[in-house]
Amino acid sequence: MMNNNIELKAINKTYQKSKNSTDNQVVVHDNFNLKINSGEFVALMGPSGMGKSTLLHLIGGLDKPTSGQVIIGGEQINNLNESQLTRWRADNIGFVFQSHHLLPVLTAQANVELPLALTHLNKSQRKHHAATALSLVSMADRAKHFPKELSGGQEQRVAIARAIVSDPKILLCDEPTGNLDRKTADEILSLLAKLNKEYGKTIVMVTHDLKAAEYASKVINLETYTYDLKAHNVQEARL
Amino acid sequence: MKKLILLLNQGCALTWINFKSFPHRIASSSISILSIACVAAVMLAVLALTDGMVKTMARTGLDNTLLVMRSGAVSELQSVMFPVEVNILANHQQIIRDKNDRAIVSAEMFVNAEFKSKSGVNDQSLSLRGINNNTYLFRPNFKLIEGAKFKTGLRQVLVGRSIARKIPELKIGSTIILGDSSWLVSGIFSDNNSVFESELWADIGIVQSDYQRGNTVQSVRLAMHDGTNINKLNEVFEADPRLNVRIIEEKVFFAQQAQDLTRLIRWIGSPVALIMAFGALIAALNTMYAAISSRSKEIATHKTIGFTPFAISISILSEAMLLACIGGLLGVLPLYLFLNDVTAATQNANSLSQMMFNFKITPFLMAQAMLLSVSIGLIGGVLPAIKAMRLPVTLALRDN
Repeated sequence: MMNNNIELKAINKTYQKSKNSTDNQVVVHDNFNLKINSGEFVALMGPSGMGKSTLLHLIGGLDKPTSGQVIIGGEQINNLNESQLTRWRADNIGFVFQSHHLLPVLTAQANVELPLALTHLNKSQRKHHAATALSLVSMADRAKHFPKELSGGQEQRVAIARAIVSDPKILLCDEPTGNLDRKTADEILSLLAKLNKEYGKTIVMVTHDLKAAEYASKVINLETYTYDLKAHNVQEARL
Repeated sequence: MKKLILLLNQGCALTWINFKSFPHRIASSSISILSIACVAAVMLAVLALTDGMVKTMARTGLDNTLLVMRSGAVSELQSVMFPVEVNILANHQQIIRDKNDRAIVSAEMFVNAEFKSKSGVNDQSLSLRGINNNTYLFRPNFKLIEGAKFKTGLRQVLVGRSIARKIPELKIGSTIILGDSSWLVSGIFSDNNSVFESELWADIGIVQSDYQRGNTVQSVRLAMHDGTNINKLNEVFEADPRLNVRIIEEKVFFAQQAQDLTRLIRWIGSPVALIMAFGALIAALNTMYAAISSRSKEIATHKTIGFTPFAISISILSEAMLLACIGGLLGVLPLYLFLNDVTAATQNANSLSQMMFNFKITPFLMAQAMLLSVSIGLIGGVLPAIKAMRLPVTLALRDN
């Protein structure tokens, strides 16, 4: 990937409510355009049902638009087949979910190592990478703990370590602090901001939390279709 | 090649995770494990039963021995032959003669003797064979392992090792009741674990007298010269108006009996095993579908991270096969531990009496039962694996 700019061009996304009906369609996005530059930390906001998570899924190649183009780093990913997308995702995207989705039978270290099974790294290299990622999220001392032995915030830190262990350029976070108290949420958001500023990760974060959005360099409100810089300059989101 | 290695790495990583979490699911998987265990046990029992019988029968009879019975008789029990017929047969040029120029022939009686045990609870029908001294020539594996041969003219029996093991009352020196008469057990013999070890042997004259058969016999064994053409011999005997007999090589006769015996077991046992296998398949299918449903988020997470649907399906199939292996071992091992080398008895439909055979649980039979178990796991895992491959990630992640 030459850069990690994210471009959504003329995106239409509809869901069919019932398999047997053709007119029972829900339009989530209609001619939606968005550009996120490499290295930005963008918060996607808006009420439920506005298609925030859908946008994340489209950017992450988990879903395809009904029409339009999803271009990441200059590559139109919505034309890739399933196995190409899987490979592309492994190389370029890290996901952080509201629920951490850590595997309960694996230690924090093993959970973080999991994405490295998709690489050609050997066992000791994997261990080293995972340890580095855990250090980065200040969880090195909990490496041998199982998820049930960690607090919610610690679990989310491990989930972030898992997302960044294979060094993806883009982090997609779906309500990463939704299950956390304010203090822990702030710690996680500071960590994301650090990953953005110090390590140049492009971060797209879906959130309902205005305070969480303050950590982002750009806020896009899908309801008003405007984006809001930190200085609260209101501009048109449509390109 | 690198891609394949990477794919296998992925599959192994997920399989390892599934195996690690398997103990947590063992309770919910217990029905399918038990179903597969039952199938493996039934399958192995049927195989061991038929194998034991076939091997016992295969050890019985000689290649160069001709067995002659009344035409139309399918067993010795149904046959009756007269001394004149025995003489005609014995004088045929293809029959080997001893140094005194006497044909090597064994005329035998075979009856069902009602054994009356002292306690009355062990009464059963036993095979009693009336023989003469020549008969031992036709039993090259005969070995007297205890006591002595019966004495001609006395009501004494020589007991086969297998039946002696089954009925403790059949011991040297004891007097037993067969029919209405008392017999003394003179010795115990072995015969390479053949069918004959399920029999009691006695002087043919006493047996004829006790069972009111006059001087008739039921079967005749003839020692043939090597290379005798059985078909031609049969034509000769058929053409002889004095004879009304059926001839067959002794080895072939017992092989046919083995087929008759095992056919019934296969006809009953195989459909039962098949129906049970189908039930186990459904149970395995159900267990794996449930496992996928409960782990849809986990599978979706794997896909999100970048694991290929193929690697995910490998892990599901591996788990199904692990389940099947555990079930298979649970079915096979108890049979091996408790039934291997056990001497079992069954009713021989041809002789209407007890036939003993060794329940031998061989590695080959165990492998067959395990193969069936693993096949159930494999087939039961295919559809769930396809479902896991096709699991829509976005729906699974949304589903709270």
